[in-house]
Amino acid sequence: MTRYMLALCLIVFGGSAAAQGVTLPDPVRVELDNGTTLILIEKHDVPLIGLEATVAGGAVADPPDKHGLANLLAGLLSKGAGERSAAEFVEAAEAVGGEIRAAAGREAIYVSADFMAKDAALMVELLADMLRRPTLAQSEFAKLRERSINLIKSAKSSDPSELLSDYANAFLFGDHAYGNPPGGSEASLAAISRSDVVAYYNDHFGGDRLTVAVSGDFDAMTMQVLLTEAFGDWEAASGEPTTVDAPPPAAGGRVYLVNKPDATQTYFSIGNVGVARNYAQRAELDLANTVFGGRFTSMLVTELRTKSGLSYSARSSLARHRQPGSVFITSFTETGTTVAAIDVALATLGQFQDAGLDDEMLLSARNYVMGQYPPRFETAAQIAGLYAMLELYGLEKSYVTEYGANLTAATTESIAAVIDEVYPAPDELVFVLIGDAEKIREQVAQYGDVTEIDITEPRFHP
Amino acid sequence: MALFSELRRRNVLKVALTYLLAAMLLLWLVGGPLTAAGAPAWANEFVLLVLAIGFPVALIFAWTYEITPAGIKKTLDVDQTQSIVFKTGQKLNAAVAVLVVLGALALIGERLMPTFEFPTVEEIVPLVREPLYESPNNPDVPQEIRSYTLDNGLRMIVWPDHDIPNVVLYNFVRAGGRNEYPGITGLSHFFEHMMFNGTKKREQGAFDSEMEAAGGSNNAYTSNDLTVYQDWFPRSALDVVFELEADRLENLAIDPEVVESERGVVYSERRLRVDNDTSGHLFEQMLATAFIAHPYQFPVIGWPSDIENWSQEDLESFFQTYYAPNNLTMVVTGDVDAEAIFVLADDYFGGISSQEPPQPVTTVEPEQRGARHFVVEAETQTPLLHMAFHAGRAADPQTLPMNVLLNVLAGGASSRLHQRLVEDEQIALAVGGFQMEGFDPGLVYFYLTLPPGGDPNAVEARMLEELQSIVDEGVSDAELAKARNIMLADYWRSLATINGKASVLGNAEVFLGDYERAFDLPAKLEALSIEDIQAAARAVFDERRMTVGVLQAAEGEE
Repeated sequence: MTRYMLALCLIVFGGSAAAQGVTLPDPVRVELDNGTTLILIEKHDVPLIGLEATVAGGAVADPPDKHGLANLLAGLLSKGAGERSAAEFVEAAEAVGGEIRAAAGREAIYVSADFMAKDAALMVELLADMLRRPTLAQSEFAKLRERSINLIKSAKSSDPSELLSDYANAFLFGDHAYGNPPGGSEASLAAISRSDVVAYYNDHFGGDRLTVAVSGDFDAMTMQVLLTEAFGDWEAASGEPTTVDAPPPAAGGRVYLVNKPDATQTYFSIGNVGVARNYAQRAELDLANTVFGGRFTSMLVTELRTKSGLSYSARSSLARHRQPGSVFITSFTETGTTVAAIDVALATLGQFQDAGLDDEMLLSARNYVMGQYPPRFETAAQIAGLYAMLELYGLEKSYVTEYGANLTAATTESIAAVIDEVYPAPDELVFVLIGDAEKIREQVAQYGDVTEIDITEPRFHP
Repeated sequence: MALFSELRRRNVLKVALTYLLAAMLLLWLVGGPLTAAGAPAWANEFVLLVLAIGFPVALIFAWTYEITPAGIKKTLDVDQTQSIVFKTGQKLNAAVAVLVVLGALALIGERLMPTFEFPTVEEIVPLVREPLYESPNNPDVPQEIRSYTLDNGLRMIVWPDHDIPNVVLYNFVRAGGRNEYPGITGLSHFFEHMMFNGTKKREQGAFDSEMEAAGGSNNAYTSNDLTVYQDWFPRSALDVVFELEADRLENLAIDPEVVESERGVVYSERRLRVDNDTSGHLFEQMLATAFIAHPYQFPVIGWPSDIENWSQEDLESFFQTYYAPNNLTMVVTGDVDAEAIFVLADDYFGGISSQEPPQPVTTVEPEQRGARHFVVEAETQTPLLHMAFHAGRAADPQTLPMNVLLNVLAGGASSRLHQRLVEDEQIALAVGGFQMEGFDPGLVYFYLTLPPGGDPNAVEARMLEELQSIVDEGVSDAELAKARNIMLADYWRSLATINGKASVLGNAEVFLGDYERAFDLPAKLEALSIEDIQAAARAVFDERRMTVGVLQAAEGEE
């Protein structure tokens, strides 16, 4: 692990940039007998500690029709744990200015904590209580479930852009686990009982599923002792680890229209299945996506905002999990210019696929990716998050050690091949739109067969 | 010919030659080695100017005076039989010879000597202007911070931090919604967009493409009080970023075609943030209702009809007034040397002229004498309730105790309002609170999302009960201690990044008048008493100065 760090430093110094400045402290990596992994990185610039713990599983382990189960459990972990009631637990953390919260991601439940250095022991105590001794009381469960359902209703009323990805994933991946809304839907949450929560906990929570990465103003030896005492004797989870098959590419030429009658603009996602986190040509892909829709001067922003004024913003993004996630163009425009904006997005994608990057674009993208890299590992919490991610995905050293070299080695030709491989062809595109269906229904039928749903329906899947 | 021979006799020609040779040698020294060793860029011009002025003076002196054994006398007063002009002439000859030899040596030296690499300008302390670079006065302030005000009024603050090889630059422009009036509402924010849209030297888009090609990224935001520009870049892009920033301050182009296209972009942003976001919509209506005189009543993004109608002249005069160097504060944090940044600032921004300060905002909101209630009808399943009270300025002493109180009330999941309204009574899905901290008196603001079917009147009554209990009974010791700890931890979190440092320094400088005030927070928190907090509550939570807005479905709808 020490060599991980040295390599990371090289990237941070990257390329021609001056070899001054960043030194990331050396991490200590410890595997406990029960399978728990500890990663400790001292960092003494401010009196804070950042921690990220992952429990493998996450939303992909939700049973069909009970989407949101892992996230409900994550929310309940702090609603009473150990000797503390729900109110006492949150009071204990906030009384010292600490933050500790859990949420379900796609492939793990994440617990993030940020405390003053002097409160390290309390932080570990709260973490261990949450993970090993949650109360999971019926009253708190019922309350949280109802509140979660109502918050989805609120988001549907307030700001539809928040929910676009849930609709888009549901339509793109269908019944595959990557189509699950991690926070659930109104209907799927209503179908969950407390016994489902307890079953999920027993199946997926245990020392063998846990990684704790912690960085900040502490002594590594002391922190190692604290964490080992807290987790060293945690037995293994009783269920099998969840595995997910690669999702097949989705059939193109389909449109999912989410009707929100009072909307004055249309929010849209266009794409298909992309790549996994361990995609070998990550450097090429990052450079390509930076140019296409990953920064302010990207092709998409230039065409949809700067030149035409059709939208405030546009981007292309790749969700990378253990298996291939989505690749989506996302933007929004006034209802009346829905087709105009989608056509510009499609023409831009075509231009990107035809022409690729020239030398100047490549150099600019490389400088940009390298120049924006160091601030991603500036705080203790960011560094803890980085190590937790590497551990969760079982990434080889090369994920970090060869990134800088790969960015430098990427050529316009190798990037063209990646663009060809990753970005869907025109007839493979899946369209997801939230807007006033009555005004755009007929026009958007030109992109494929339209499936319609009203935004007040209590689900995201068709 | 008589004149020429008299010029020769009085050694005027030799003085001229000696002067010119000495001047050349001096200019060579200043222009080459001394500049490389840290003399400022203007030293060369300065020396040239002095020498040019000195030349006629020296010649007139040589003509008019003569050196005699008794000292310097007017030539006309010298007994010419006793004149020693010949000896003086010989001395001048010797001086010429010495200068010629020195000059030759310098030339040869420059060619033949191994080149000595002087450190680059960035890494040297230019001693000449050191006293102008101010260090902190307060010993509790990090001592590496430096500040400097350029001659044109541009204020610079630099906090070196070499943790990562990156730099953050914030440019705080004192222009925001409060500087607007009907017809030009939203202009400050529109200008934020136009600052990225081309200069007389660069076409639209070049600002961003050049910055990104150098590894940098940028953004900007506009508030009721300020427009703030932010650049995040690797140290290697320092020159590029300063040149780009100077170019848009000095040479901004306001191309009418670009203005038209940008109206569409801003309208799209308005649809995103206000028209299609119920919370943004209610907030806009709240400010328009709570303020009837002060320009805080205007939405920062602008009323739709103003976005469509502001004119080219509006834009040009706005730029002239508000983007003058004397209306700006720049903060640079990260992997830099403070003095080097000031040299860069002088080079790039020093030539921009200052302007008459903007018209002060003089309108004072008249005292509100009675609660204001209004309803917005919208398609929503979950009603919203916003509640605001007139309060103070950022710089008022009451601002800090009110922030502590807002932490007690709505700071986190253990706060009073969350525990009581969300967890215990479940009459709200979410509750939050904040204080507008601006140049002028703002609002203390609470926002609540109600569950479907929630009763806004009942929730308003419960809110008032909770606020009254603070007025009557204050907060507990434990609550004060918790709020202190939360604010202290947040303070440290904000100082953990160079971006946070730039924001903290700049906001303190702009709103509190001195960046050093940012570092008072721990001591001020320590000194706060329960009585201070109760006094702040008493001053603000007065129903007669309250505005309540509700957003809900129309009667008969869900």
